[in-house]
Amino acid sequence: YENRVVIAFLYVLILQHNRFVSDSKGKEPDVLFVGDSLVQLLHEFEVWRKLFSPLHALNFGVGGDATQHVLWRLVNGELDHISPKVVVLWVGTNNHGHTPEQICGGIMAIINVIHQKLPHAHTLVLGLLPRGKSPNPLRERNASVNALVQAEVASLSHVSFLDMDPGFILSDGSIAHQDMYDYLHLTPQAYQKVCQPLHERIKSLLDKHAP
Amino acid sequence: MSAEENPAAEPAPVIDVQGDGRWMSQECKDAEPDVLFVGDSMVQLMQQYEVWREVFSPLHALNFGIGGDTTCNVLWRLQNGELENIRPRVVVLWVGTNNHEHTADQVAGGILAIAQLVLSRLPRSKIIVLGLLPRGEFPNPLREKNAAVNNLLRASLPQLGPVQFIDVGGSFVHSDGAISSRDMFDFLHLTASAYRTISTTLHELLLQMLEEMPQERRASLV
Repeated sequence: YENRVVIAFLYVLILQHNRFVSDSKGKEPDVLFVGDSLVQLLHEFEVWRKLFSPLHALNFGVGGDATQHVLWRLVNGELDHISPKVVVLWVGTNNHGHTPEQICGGIMAIINVIHQKLPHAHTLVLGLLPRGKSPNPLRERNASVNALVQAEVASLSHVSFLDMDPGFILSDGSIAHQDMYDYLHLTPQAYQKVCQPLHERIKSLLDKHAP
Repeated sequence: MSAEENPAAEPAPVIDVQGDGRWMSQECKDAEPDVLFVGDSMVQLMQQYEVWREVFSPLHALNFGIGGDTTCNVLWRLQNGELENIRPRVVVLWVGTNNHEHTADQVAGGILAIAQLVLSRLPRSKIIVLGLLPRGEFPNPLREKNAAVNNLLRASLPQLGPVQFIDVGGSFVHSDGAISSRDMFDFLHLTASAYRTISTTLHELLLQMLEEMPQERRASLV
Protein backbone atom coordinates (compact mmCIF):
# COMPACT_ATOMS: atom_id res chain seq x y z
CA TYR A 1 0.00 0.00 0.00
CA GLU A 2 2.78 2.42 0.94
CA ASN A 3 4.61 1.74 -2.32
CA ARG A 4 1.58 2.94 -4.23
CA VAL A 5 1.72 6.20 -2.30
CA VAL A 6 5.44 6.70 -2.93
CA ILE A 7 4.94 5.97 -6.62
CA ALA A 8 2.04 8.42 -6.74
CA PHE A 9 4.27 11.10 -5.20
CA LEU A 10 7.16 10.58 -7.62
CA TYR A 11 4.67 10.45 -10.45
CA VAL A 12 3.33 13.87 -9.46
CA LEU A 13 6.81 15.42 -9.21
CA ILE A 14 7.86 14.06 -12.57
CA LEU A 15 4.65 15.32 -14.12
CA GLN A 16 5.29 18.76 -12.67
CA HIS A 17 8.81 18.70 -14.11
CA ASN A 18 7.49 17.53 -17.48
CA ARG A 19 4.98 20.33 -17.43
CA PHE A 20 7.73 22.87 -16.83
CA VAL A 21 9.75 21.43 -19.72
CA SER A 22 6.81 21.52 -22.11
CA ASP A 23 5.75 24.98 -20.84
CA SER A 24 9.20 26.21 -21.65
CA LYS A 25 8.86 25.15 -25.28
CA GLY A 26 6.00 27.56 -25.87
CA LYS A 27 7.30 30.60 -24.06
CA GLU A 28 10.12 33.09 -24.38
CA PRO A 29 10.69 34.39 -20.89
CA ASP A 30 13.16 37.14 -20.14
CA VAL A 31 13.24 36.09 -16.50
CA LEU A 32 13.11 32.60 -15.05
CA PHE A 33 12.36 32.04 -11.38
CA VAL A 34 13.48 28.66 -10.09
CA GLY A 35 13.44 27.23 -6.58
CA ASP A 36 11.18 25.92 -3.85
CA SER A 37 7.77 26.87 -2.42
CA LEU A 38 8.83 30.46 -1.78
CA VAL A 39 9.13 30.76 -5.55
CA GLN A 40 6.09 28.64 -6.33
CA LEU A 41 3.70 30.48 -4.02
CA LEU A 42 4.88 33.85 -5.30
CA HIS A 43 3.07 32.99 -8.52
CA GLU A 44 -0.27 32.71 -6.74
CA PHE A 45 -0.43 36.22 -5.34
CA GLU A 46 -1.22 39.60 -6.90
CA VAL A 47 2.42 40.66 -6.61
CA TRP A 48 3.39 38.26 -9.43
CA ARG A 49 0.90 39.76 -11.83
CA LYS A 50 1.87 43.32 -10.88
CA LEU A 51 5.66 43.09 -10.70
CA PHE A 52 6.88 40.02 -12.54
CA SER A 53 4.47 39.16 -15.34
CA PRO A 54 5.29 42.49 -16.99
CA LEU A 55 8.94 41.39 -17.04
CA HIS A 56 7.94 38.23 -18.97
CA ALA A 57 8.78 35.92 -16.13
CA LEU A 58 8.30 32.16 -15.90
CA ASN A 59 7.94 30.36 -12.57
CA PHE A 60 9.55 26.96 -12.03
CA GLY A 61 9.15 26.77 -8.27
CA VAL A 62 8.34 23.43 -6.64
CA GLY A 63 7.32 23.23 -3.01
CA GLY A 64 9.66 21.12 -0.91
CA ASP A 65 12.54 21.24 -3.36
CA ALA A 66 16.05 21.24 -1.95
CA THR A 67 19.15 22.11 -3.99
CA GLN A 68 19.56 18.59 -5.37
CA HIS A 69 16.01 18.59 -6.74
CA VAL A 70 16.41 21.93 -8.47
CA LEU A 71 19.74 20.75 -9.85
CA TRP A 72 18.12 17.61 -11.24
CA ARG A 73 15.33 19.62 -12.88
CA LEU A 74 17.69 22.04 -14.57
CA VAL A 75 20.01 19.28 -15.77
CA ASN A 76 17.05 17.33 -17.12
CA GLY A 77 15.37 19.72 -19.50
CA GLU A 78 13.95 22.78 -17.81
CA LEU A 79 16.57 25.07 -19.33
CA ASP A 80 16.76 23.40 -22.72
CA HIS A 81 14.21 25.41 -24.67
CA ILE A 82 14.44 28.92 -23.25
CA SER A 83 16.94 31.79 -23.15
CA PRO A 84 16.04 34.01 -20.23
CA LYS A 85 18.32 36.95 -19.60
CA VAL A 86 18.03 36.62 -15.85
CA VAL A 87 17.59 33.49 -13.75
CA VAL A 88 16.39 34.11 -10.23
CA LEU A 89 17.40 31.25 -7.92
CA TRP A 90 15.85 30.83 -4.49
CA VAL A 91 16.52 27.46 -2.85
CA GLY A 92 18.26 25.95 0.16
CA THR A 93 15.88 26.27 3.09
CA ASN A 94 14.59 22.72 2.58
CA ASN A 95 18.06 21.11 2.66
CA HIS A 96 17.44 19.37 5.95
CA GLY A 97 20.40 17.48 7.32
CA HIS A 98 22.92 19.37 5.19
CA THR A 99 25.61 21.67 6.52
CA PRO A 100 25.82 25.30 5.34
CA GLU A 101 28.90 24.33 3.30
CA GLN A 102 26.97 21.56 1.58
CA ILE A 103 24.00 23.79 0.86
CA CYS A 104 26.30 26.47 -0.54
CA GLY A 105 27.92 23.77 -2.65
CA GLY A 106 24.51 22.75 -3.95
CA ILE A 107 23.66 26.33 -4.86
CA MET A 108 27.01 26.76 -6.62
CA ALA A 109 26.41 23.55 -8.57
CA ILE A 110 23.08 24.95 -9.77
CA ILE A 111 24.75 28.23 -10.74
CA ASN A 112 27.31 26.29 -12.77
CA VAL A 113 24.65 24.31 -14.62
CA ILE A 114 22.76 27.50 -15.42
CA HIS A 115 25.95 29.05 -16.75
CA GLN A 116 26.72 26.01 -18.89
CA LYS A 117 23.25 25.87 -20.40
CA LEU A 118 22.68 29.62 -20.62
CA PRO A 119 26.09 31.23 -21.03
CA HIS A 120 24.59 34.67 -21.60
CA ALA A 121 22.24 34.70 -18.62
CA HIS A 122 22.82 36.44 -15.33
CA THR A 123 21.93 34.46 -12.23
CA LEU A 124 20.51 36.35 -9.28
CA VAL A 125 20.78 34.26 -6.12
CA LEU A 126 18.37 35.20 -3.38
CA GLY A 127 19.39 34.94 0.26
CA LEU A 128 17.63 32.42 2.46
CA LEU A 129 15.16 33.92 4.87
CA PRO A 130 15.10 33.41 8.64
CA ARG A 131 12.39 30.98 9.78
CA GLY A 132 10.69 29.68 12.89
CA LYS A 133 8.86 31.83 15.38
CA SER A 134 11.83 32.10 17.78
CA PRO A 135 15.62 31.83 17.40
CA ASN A 136 16.56 28.33 16.29
CA PRO A 137 19.39 26.47 14.52
CA LEU A 138 17.82 26.81 11.08
CA ARG A 139 18.09 30.59 11.27
CA GLU A 140 21.79 30.26 11.95
CA ARG A 141 22.18 27.69 9.22
CA ASN A 142 20.44 29.90 6.65
CA ALA A 143 22.50 32.95 7.66
CA SER A 144 25.69 30.90 7.25
CA VAL A 145 24.59 29.72 3.82
CA ASN A 146 24.00 33.32 2.79
CA ALA A 147 27.43 34.42 3.97
CA LEU A 148 29.14 31.54 2.14
CA VAL A 149 27.22 32.07 -1.10
CA GLN A 150 27.75 35.80 -1.04
CA ALA A 151 31.51 35.25 -0.71
CA GLU A 152 31.65 32.65 -3.48
CA VAL A 153 29.74 34.68 -6.06
CA ALA A 154 31.58 37.93 -5.36
CA SER A 155 34.20 37.09 -7.97
CA LEU A 156 31.74 35.93 -10.64
CA SER A 157 30.57 38.53 -13.12
CA HIS A 158 27.56 36.52 -14.25
CA VAL A 159 26.15 36.05 -10.75
CA SER A 160 24.96 38.37 -8.03
CA PHE A 161 23.43 37.92 -4.61
CA LEU A 162 20.45 39.71 -3.12
CA ASP A 163 19.61 39.67 0.58
CA MET A 164 15.84 39.21 0.75
CA ASP A 165 15.30 39.90 4.44
CA PRO A 166 13.73 43.34 5.05
CA GLY A 167 14.10 42.79 8.78
CA PHE A 168 11.63 40.02 9.58
CA ILE A 169 13.20 39.30 12.95
CA LEU A 170 11.74 41.64 15.56
CA SER A 171 13.62 43.09 18.52
CA ASP A 172 12.51 40.22 20.74
CA GLY A 173 13.87 37.66 18.27
CA SER A 174 10.47 36.60 17.03
CA ILE A 175 9.04 36.56 13.53
CA ALA A 176 5.48 37.83 13.17
CA HIS A 177 2.81 35.54 11.73
CA GLN A 178 1.65 38.57 9.75
CA ASP A 179 4.88 38.16 7.75
CA MET A 180 5.19 34.36 7.78
CA TYR A 181 1.87 32.69 8.50
CA ASP A 182 3.58 29.44 9.42
CA TYR A 183 6.99 30.94 10.24
CA LEU A 184 8.34 29.70 6.90
CA HIS A 185 6.08 30.86 4.09
CA LEU A 186 5.43 34.52 3.30
CA THR A 187 2.07 36.23 3.52
CA PRO A 188 1.02 38.38 0.57
CA GLN A 189 2.04 41.51 2.54
CA ALA A 190 5.50 40.08 3.21
CA TYR A 191 5.89 39.18 -0.46
CA GLN A 192 5.14 42.83 -1.28
CA LYS A 193 7.93 43.89 1.10
CA VAL A 194 10.57 41.56 -0.32
CA CYS A 195 9.58 41.87 -3.95
CA GLN A 196 9.99 45.60 -4.38
CA PRO A 197 13.81 45.49 -4.12
CA LEU A 198 13.85 42.23 -6.08
CA HIS A 199 11.86 43.82 -8.86
CA GLU A 200 14.22 46.79 -8.95
CA ARG A 201 17.28 44.55 -9.11
CA ILE A 202 15.85 42.40 -11.90
CA LYS A 203 14.92 45.47 -13.91
CA SER A 204 18.42 46.89 -13.64
CA LEU A 205 19.91 43.53 -14.66
CA LEU A 206 17.61 43.40 -17.68
CA ASP A 207 18.61 46.92 -18.64
CA LYS A 208 22.29 46.03 -18.47
CA HIS A 209 21.83 42.85 -20.46
CA ALA A 210 23.08 42.99 -24.03
CA PRO A 211 20.10 43.00 -26.43
CA MET B 1 -13.18 1.72 15.09
CA SER B 2 -11.60 2.67 18.40
CA ALA B 3 -8.40 4.65 18.70
CA GLU B 4 -6.52 1.47 19.56
CA GLU B 5 -7.62 -0.04 16.26
CA ASN B 6 -7.34 3.06 14.12
CA PRO B 7 -3.98 4.83 13.94
CA ALA B 8 -5.63 7.73 12.11
CA ALA B 9 -7.65 8.43 15.26
CA GLU B 10 -4.65 8.49 17.52
CA PRO B 11 -3.78 12.05 18.55
CA ALA B 12 -0.19 12.94 17.76
CA PRO B 13 1.74 16.19 17.66
CA VAL B 14 4.07 16.82 14.75
CA ILE B 15 7.64 16.00 15.70
CA ASP B 16 10.06 18.79 14.86
CA VAL B 17 12.47 17.00 12.55
CA GLN B 18 13.44 20.15 10.68
CA GLY B 19 14.64 22.06 13.72
CA ASP B 20 12.77 25.36 13.94
CA GLY B 21 9.82 24.38 16.10
CA ARG B 22 7.31 25.86 13.69
CA TRP B 23 4.45 23.46 14.27
CA MET B 24 4.26 24.05 18.00
CA SER B 25 4.39 27.82 17.63
CA GLN B 26 1.50 28.20 15.25
CA GLU B 27 -1.97 29.30 16.16
CA CYS B 28 -2.76 32.49 17.98
CA LYS B 29 -6.17 33.03 19.37
CA ASP B 30 -6.91 36.69 19.15
CA ALA B 31 -10.61 36.61 18.58
CA GLU B 32 -13.91 35.20 19.73
CA PRO B 33 -14.83 33.30 16.64
CA ASP B 34 -18.30 32.36 15.50
CA VAL B 35 -16.76 30.02 12.97
CA LEU B 36 -13.65 27.93 13.48
CA PHE B 37 -11.81 26.48 10.49
CA VAL B 38 -9.52 23.62 11.37
CA GLY B 39 -7.44 21.30 9.21
CA ASP B 40 -4.40 21.17 6.99
CA SER B 41 -2.90 23.43 4.32
CA MET B 42 -6.20 23.52 2.44
CA VAL B 43 -7.49 25.52 5.41
CA GLN B 44 -4.27 27.38 6.16
CA LEU B 45 -3.67 28.69 2.67
CA MET B 46 -7.23 29.99 2.36
CA GLN B 47 -6.42 32.73 4.82
CA GLN B 48 -3.68 34.09 2.58
CA TYR B 49 -6.07 34.84 -0.24
CA GLU B 50 -8.45 37.80 -0.61
CA VAL B 51 -11.45 35.47 -0.36
CA TRP B 52 -10.81 35.00 3.36
CA ARG B 53 -10.95 38.71 4.08
CA GLU B 54 -13.99 39.20 1.85
CA VAL B 55 -16.11 36.18 2.71
CA PHE B 56 -15.04 34.53 5.97
CA SER B 57 -13.58 37.29 8.16
CA PRO B 58 -16.96 39.02 8.24
CA LEU B 59 -18.36 35.84 9.79
CA HIS B 60 -15.80 36.16 12.62
CA ALA B 61 -13.85 33.17 11.47
CA LEU B 62 -10.65 31.85 13.02
CA ASN B 63 -8.22 29.78 10.99
CA PHE B 64 -6.50 26.83 12.65
CA GLY B 65 -5.10 25.21 9.54
CA ILE B 66 -1.55 23.86 9.55
CA GLY B 67 0.09 22.59 6.39
CA GLY B 68 0.98 18.92 6.44
CA ASP B 69 -1.36 18.01 9.28
CA THR B 70 -3.01 14.62 9.39
CA THR B 71 -6.12 13.66 11.34
CA CYS B 72 -3.81 12.66 14.20
CA ASN B 73 -2.24 16.10 14.37
CA VAL B 74 -5.58 17.91 14.27
CA LEU B 75 -6.95 15.61 16.94
CA TRP B 76 -3.95 16.35 19.15
CA ARG B 77 -4.30 20.11 18.68
CA LEU B 78 -7.98 20.11 19.50
CA GLN B 79 -7.40 17.99 22.60
CA ASN B 80 -4.48 20.12 23.74
CA GLY B 81 -5.78 23.65 23.97
CA GLU B 82 -7.22 24.81 20.70
CA LEU B 83 -10.81 24.46 21.82
CA GLU B 84 -10.20 26.14 25.13
CA ASN B 85 -11.91 29.44 25.80
CA ILE B 86 -13.67 29.69 22.46
CA ARG B 87 -17.21 28.81 21.55
CA PRO B 88 -17.57 28.86 17.80
CA ARG B 89 -21.07 28.14 16.61
CA VAL B 90 -19.84 26.28 13.55
CA VAL B 91 -16.65 24.30 13.09
CA VAL B 92 -15.44 23.71 9.56
CA LEU B 93 -13.23 20.64 9.35
CA TRP B 94 -11.01 19.92 6.34
CA VAL B 95 -8.31 17.30 6.84
CA GLY B 96 -7.31 13.85 5.62
CA THR B 97 -5.43 14.31 2.37
CA ASN B 98 -2.06 14.05 4.18
CA ASN B 99 -2.83 10.74 5.93
CA HIS B 100 -0.44 8.84 3.68
CA GLU B 101 0.13 5.93 6.01
CA HIS B 102 -3.55 5.18 6.53
CA THR B 103 -6.23 3.45 4.52
CA ALA B 104 -9.40 5.22 3.41
CA ASP B 105 -11.32 3.47 6.21
CA GLN B 106 -8.83 4.68 8.78
CA VAL B 107 -8.84 8.25 7.46
CA ALA B 108 -12.63 8.41 7.55
CA GLY B 109 -12.48 7.02 11.09
CA GLY B 110 -10.00 9.71 12.05
CA ILE B 111 -12.24 12.46 10.69
CA LEU B 112 -15.21 10.98 12.55
CA ALA B 113 -13.17 10.93 15.74
CA ILE B 114 -12.41 14.64 15.32
CA ALA B 115 -16.09 15.42 14.72
CA GLN B 116 -17.03 13.45 17.82
CA LEU B 117 -14.44 15.29 19.88
CA VAL B 118 -15.70 18.68 18.71
CA LEU B 119 -19.31 17.78 19.51
CA SER B 120 -18.33 16.60 22.96
CA ARG B 121 -16.41 19.79 23.74
CA LEU B 122 -18.84 22.15 22.00
CA PRO B 123 -22.23 20.48 22.38
CA ARG B 124 -24.17 23.37 20.89
CA SER B 125 -22.03 23.74 17.80
CA LYS B 126 -22.58 22.43 14.31
CA ILE B 127 -19.94 20.96 12.07
CA ILE B 128 -19.28 21.18 8.37
CA VAL B 129 -16.91 18.53 7.05
CA LEU B 130 -15.40 19.28 3.66
CA GLY B 131 -14.73 16.34 1.40
CA LEU B 132 -11.19 15.60 0.36
CA LEU B 133 -10.36 17.07 -3.02
CA PRO B 134 -9.08 15.11 -5.99
CA ARG B 135 -5.34 15.63 -6.47
CA GLY B 136 -2.63 15.03 -9.01
CA GLU B 137 -2.72 16.18 -12.60
CA PHE B 138 -4.07 12.85 -13.90
CA PRO B 139 -6.01 9.94 -12.35
CA ASN B 140 -3.90 8.29 -9.67
CA PRO B 141 -4.33 6.15 -6.53
CA LEU B 142 -4.63 9.14 -4.19
CA ARG B 143 -7.69 10.34 -6.08
CA GLU B 144 -9.32 6.97 -5.60
CA LYS B 145 -8.43 6.95 -1.94
CA ASN B 146 -9.78 10.45 -1.29
CA ALA B 147 -13.01 9.58 -3.11
CA ALA B 148 -13.34 6.46 -0.97
CA VAL B 149 -12.89 8.55 2.18
CA ASN B 150 -15.62 10.90 0.97
CA ASN B 151 -18.03 8.04 0.33
CA LEU B 152 -17.46 6.70 3.82
CA LEU B 153 -17.98 10.15 5.34
CA ARG B 154 -21.14 10.74 3.35
CA ALA B 155 -22.60 7.58 4.85
CA SER B 156 -21.41 7.90 8.43
CA LEU B 157 -21.30 11.61 9.34
CA PRO B 158 -25.05 12.27 9.41
CA GLN B 159 -25.36 9.70 12.19
CA LEU B 160 -23.40 11.99 14.49
CA GLY B 161 -26.09 14.63 14.48
CA PRO B 162 -25.47 18.28 13.61
CA VAL B 163 -22.79 17.45 11.04
CA GLN B 164 -23.02 18.27 7.36
CA PHE B 165 -20.76 16.86 4.68
CA ILE B 166 -20.09 18.85 1.53
CA ASP B 167 -18.01 17.80 -1.43
CA VAL B 168 -16.63 20.85 -3.19
CA GLY B 169 -14.28 18.96 -5.50
CA GLY B 170 -16.78 18.25 -8.27
CA SER B 171 -15.70 20.91 -10.72
CA PHE B 172 -11.96 20.28 -10.69
CA VAL B 173 -11.63 17.09 -12.71
CA HIS B 174 -12.24 17.71 -16.40
CA SER B 175 -13.74 15.25 -18.86
CA ASP B 176 -10.27 13.98 -19.83
CA GLY B 177 -9.52 13.22 -16.18
CA ALA B 178 -7.05 16.09 -15.86
CA ILE B 179 -6.93 18.80 -13.22
CA SER B 180 -5.84 22.25 -14.37
CA SER B 181 -2.96 24.13 -12.78
CA ARG B 182 -5.25 27.14 -12.90
CA ASP B 183 -7.29 25.41 -10.19
CA MET B 184 -4.48 23.67 -8.31
CA PHE B 185 -1.11 25.26 -8.94
CA ASP B 186 0.71 22.09 -7.87
CA PHE B 187 -2.24 19.74 -8.39
CA LEU B 188 -2.80 19.67 -4.65
CA HIS B 189 -3.19 23.22 -3.39
CA LEU B 190 -5.86 25.59 -4.66
CA THR B 191 -5.31 28.83 -6.53
CA ALA B 192 -7.10 32.02 -5.57
CA SER B 193 -9.76 31.47 -8.20
CA ALA B 194 -10.40 27.88 -7.13
CA TYR B 195 -10.89 29.02 -3.55
CA ARG B 196 -13.47 31.48 -4.81
CA THR B 197 -15.30 28.67 -6.55
CA ILE B 198 -15.53 26.49 -3.44
CA SER B 199 -16.21 29.38 -1.11
CA THR B 200 -19.59 30.14 -2.60
CA THR B 201 -21.10 26.83 -1.51
CA LEU B 202 -19.34 26.89 1.82
CA HIS B 203 -20.36 30.47 2.53
CA GLU B 204 -24.00 29.78 1.74
CA LEU B 205 -24.06 26.78 4.04
CA LEU B 206 -22.37 28.73 6.81
CA LEU B 207 -24.86 31.57 6.57
CA GLN B 208 -27.71 29.08 6.67
CA MET B 209 -26.32 27.31 9.73
CA LEU B 210 -25.53 30.52 11.58
CA GLU B 211 -29.02 31.84 10.92
CA GLU B 212 -30.55 28.67 12.33
CA MET B 213 -28.67 28.97 15.57
CA PRO B 214 -29.54 31.44 18.31
CA GLN B 215 -26.52 33.52 19.20
CA GLU B 216 -25.33 32.71 22.71
CA ARG B 217 -25.27 35.61 25.08
CA ARG B 218 -21.54 36.15 25.51
CA ALA B 219 -20.46 35.61 29.09
CA SER B 220 -17.15 37.23 29.86
CA LEU B 221 -14.45 34.67 29.19
CA VAL B 222 -11.63 36.66 30.73
